[in-house]
Amino acid sequence: MIGFTILLTFIGIIIMAFASITQKKLADSIVLFMGVGLGSVVLFFIFNAPDVALTEAVIGAGISSLIFLMALKHLKAKA
Amino acid sequence: MSLKRTLPTSVLSGFALSGAFILTVLQLLLQNVPKDIDRAGDALLSLNANEGVANAVTTVVVYFRGFDTLGEIAVLFIAALGIGLMLGENERCVIKAQSNFMLHTGAKLLFPIITLYGVYVMSYGHLSPGGGFQGGVIIASGVLLLLISHRDFEVPHSFIVWLETFAGVAYVLIGLIGLLTLDIFLGNFLPHDVSQMGLLLSGGIIPIIYIIVGIKVGSEMSAIVQSLIKRGDNV
Repeated sequence: MIGFTILLTFIGIIIMAFASITQKKLADSIVLFMGVGLGSVVLFFIFNAPDVALTEAVIGAGISSLIFLMALKHLKAKA
Repeated sequence: MSLKRTLPTSVLSGFALSGAFILTVLQLLLQNVPKDIDRAGDALLSLNANEGVANAVTTVVVYFRGFDTLGEIAVLFIAALGIGLMLGENERCVIKAQSNFMLHTGAKLLFPIITLYGVYVMSYGHLSPGGGFQGGVIIASGVLLLLISHRDFEVPHSFIVWLETFAGVAYVLIGLIGLLTLDIFLGNFLPHDVSQMGLLLSGGIIPIIYIIVGIKVGSEMSAIVQSLIKRGDNV
């Protein structure tokens, strides 16, 4: 069961990472990037690294995506 | 469109030559692997018990690699300095859209809870997963919530400068006291007995250093977020 979860998360991360670089809209890219971070959090936690999981959740999926969104708002890109 | 048309032959041969060089170096390295390289982590973990800290990751980050953590904080300081230099002169943007009543009240309600959680993660970094970096960024995300929901909110610049200076000076001072008393930079000069492992006051200087790291990271990330919000165009 845990192996199935790990496999599913891996596949989801790869699909979301590929989708985030092929999206036309930049806002969709950023949301998919947050999804990649979230999948990594699950993997880190399963592989007994809660410290890294907490860091990734706070920095990778949280504040860096918010900074990207703020930069996108200032760029006034057609998103 | 073939690769040959876009890249000149000299570039391609350069790629091939560097690839061959890297493969040769890898071959040489793989032939002479040190014997105990897969057990280096076990040696560090067995040393962990000497410091009396329950979370082994914290011991590695703050004590065994304490000088590296000082360097990481310097890197973060330089990043905050660059953003402040580039964006600091802009005036605060005038947000014309009044924030929703729900957002206004919810942000006020959530900010103390987020700050409390950040302080908990920071001060229990030597007992449970977490630590200064994570706790500092959690506090900065609470500040970000207040910045986007309240028009007039602003962390006073002098307060950020004071906190940052205090944290940086305290880190180096603790390291120098360790150098004076134990002849080791960042030496653990406070009592750290193994029997105290798991208590809040255990591990000597390690929790103190992690709280200092948390103060520094929190103030720097708040400054970064605030100067990004303060970009001078009206939204």
